[in-house]
Amino acid sequence: MAEPMKIRATLQGDIADVRILMLHPMETGQRKDSKGEIVPMHFIQSVVVTHNGKTVLDTQWSQAVARNPFLGLRIKGAKAGDKIGVTWVDNKGDKRTDEATVTPAS
Amino acid sequence: MPTTRGGIAAILLACLAVGGAAPALAQSDDPLGVGRKMLAEDNPGELWIERGKTLFYQKRGPKNASLEQCDFGMGPGKLEGAAARLPRYFPDTDKVQDLETRLLTCMVQQQGFDRADIVKRAISPGGSSGSDVEALALYITSRSNGMKVNVSLSHQKEYDTYKAGEYLFFRRSGQTDFGCVQCHGEANKRIRLQDLVHMTDKKGAQEVASTWPAYRGAHFVVRTMQWRLTDCFWQMRLPDMSYGSDMSIALTLYLNYQGNGAVIQVPGFKR
Amino acid sequence: MRIAGLRWVVVGVPALIAAGCATFPDEATTRQNAEKMVSEGFSTSPVFAKRLVQDRSQQICSKIAGAPLTQQEAAEVVKLARASFQYPASGKLVGDWKIGDRLAHDGAGDRILRGKLEKRKENGGLCQNCHALAPGEINVGNVGPALTGYGLQRGNSEAIAKLTYERIYNAWAYSPCSNMPRVGATRHLTPEQITHMVAYLLDPASPINKK
Repeated sequence: MAEPMKIRATLQGDIADVRILMLHPMETGQRKDSKGEIVPMHFIQSVVVTHNGKTVLDTQWSQAVARNPFLGLRIKGAKAGDKIGVTWVDNKGDKRTDEATVTPAS
Repeated sequence: MPTTRGGIAAILLACLAVGGAAPALAQSDDPLGVGRKMLAEDNPGELWIERGKTLFYQKRGPKNASLEQCDFGMGPGKLEGAAARLPRYFPDTDKVQDLETRLLTCMVQQQGFDRADIVKRAISPGGSSGSDVEALALYITSRSNGMKVNVSLSHQKEYDTYKAGEYLFFRRSGQTDFGCVQCHGEANKRIRLQDLVHMTDKKGAQEVASTWPAYRGAHFVVRTMQWRLTDCFWQMRLPDMSYGSDMSIALTLYLNYQGNGAVIQVPGFKR
Repeated sequence: MRIAGLRWVVVGVPALIAAGCATFPDEATTRQNAEKMVSEGFSTSPVFAKRLVQDRSQQICSKIAGAPLTQQEAAEVVKLARASFQYPASGKLVGDWKIGDRLAHDGAGDRILRGKLEKRKENGGLCQNCHALAPGEINVGNVGPALTGYGLQRGNSEAIAKLTYERIYNAWAYSPCSNMPRVGATRHLTPEQITHMVAYLLDPASPINKK
């Protein structure tokens, strides 16, 4: 799995408005498929966001988060050109890291 | 729940620049509109564009070829603005074709895929990772993002097909006595809580012409116009629509032509 | 040189058309083209293909782009609609409002997917899709007029019961070519089902008549 994320980070003053789109089935483990069998649990368990290498957000997710989730956050003290890193790890041990650069507001 | 909310969301979607400034989450007397705007600004469907791009340039199929020689009406491999002019007549097939049937033509002729097989898988199950056709249709259309819908009629078959599409829009069929116009012929109408696009109005037609393919939130995949028509016929209690039928192309041509001037912005976001 | 002139016309006019003098086809040609598209546009068994055949009223009511209905056409549609009425064997037009309540909120039934018919005990009334029903319900459409307080406004006389039954059975008897499906006449609903919906609309105890 581990499809690439889409990350936008736009500067407003000294705040980076960060928008992250992820592709993930986020299966709860309670849904049944068309044959009536349980679709196994498969969901993102942790998401870590870094700003120039420093962790600014460390989250634990559960099955309550929807398929193809969106995460938005604002990071204070940002400048244009700063690096935003996002890493997710799921319950199967699959992980994905993507990076974006903070761009000035257009 | 007036359709103006849907209309406002559609206009905002059309005006949205990717990577633009964050919205002011101000107090609103239109919470649904605010919600729709938020969904439209961060649309998971955007992740299908990259997939479609990869599939487009990859050598695939029995003939091990990419789609770079596919002519969508502006010459082989020329994608910029091509979707904005579809459906249109193609001399090599001597048919009026929409984006998806043209894509099918190329996948069969240039890549050697089996038509029946592609058609079988063209509409993916909800909750899946989507079909190749859905990703490709989105990528190709996205190459017209920011451009105006510009469908023109010049070949006799285009004139014929347009008029047939108009006839079909108003044709009442089956035990529901529904033609498209029964649901899509008036402003500010909705079925349950689903706002209905007013397609006999310029703005409504423009929404149809410029927001497909779209991410269907409830299905978690990108959907296309062919899917949308199929789903309508299902609700109208009519039989299964044939993917890529002349009927579907005629309706699409009729609507897209009415929607001329709309700025294309895909993927759209639908519930 | 009449013959030479004729030859020029025979050669010249097609050449002009080929040169791009395309035009909108006439109505008859369009109808032919479009009906051919309908016959080829669905993958269907012969049983389901029947759904695509228009009856006379549908043909009249498929007016293109807001073209008006003539007096004569309207009269014909009304006449055909009145002739279509079928009543329940019991003769009782007012059934059980509790069943009608359920049916009115049921939007499923008789849909075809991948060649298979939707498996249900009976077809839903589809009412909630287009009409507001009991007060306070939010998830209701507005394609048709609100039915909230229907019985309160009209009472439940025999005459009203008959009118209500007929309007549901075949709305075109009263509003020719209306957007409303002729649910009884097209057999989407049975006469018995319609009696329950009449009760749902008229019974003072029905939620639709709650203040």
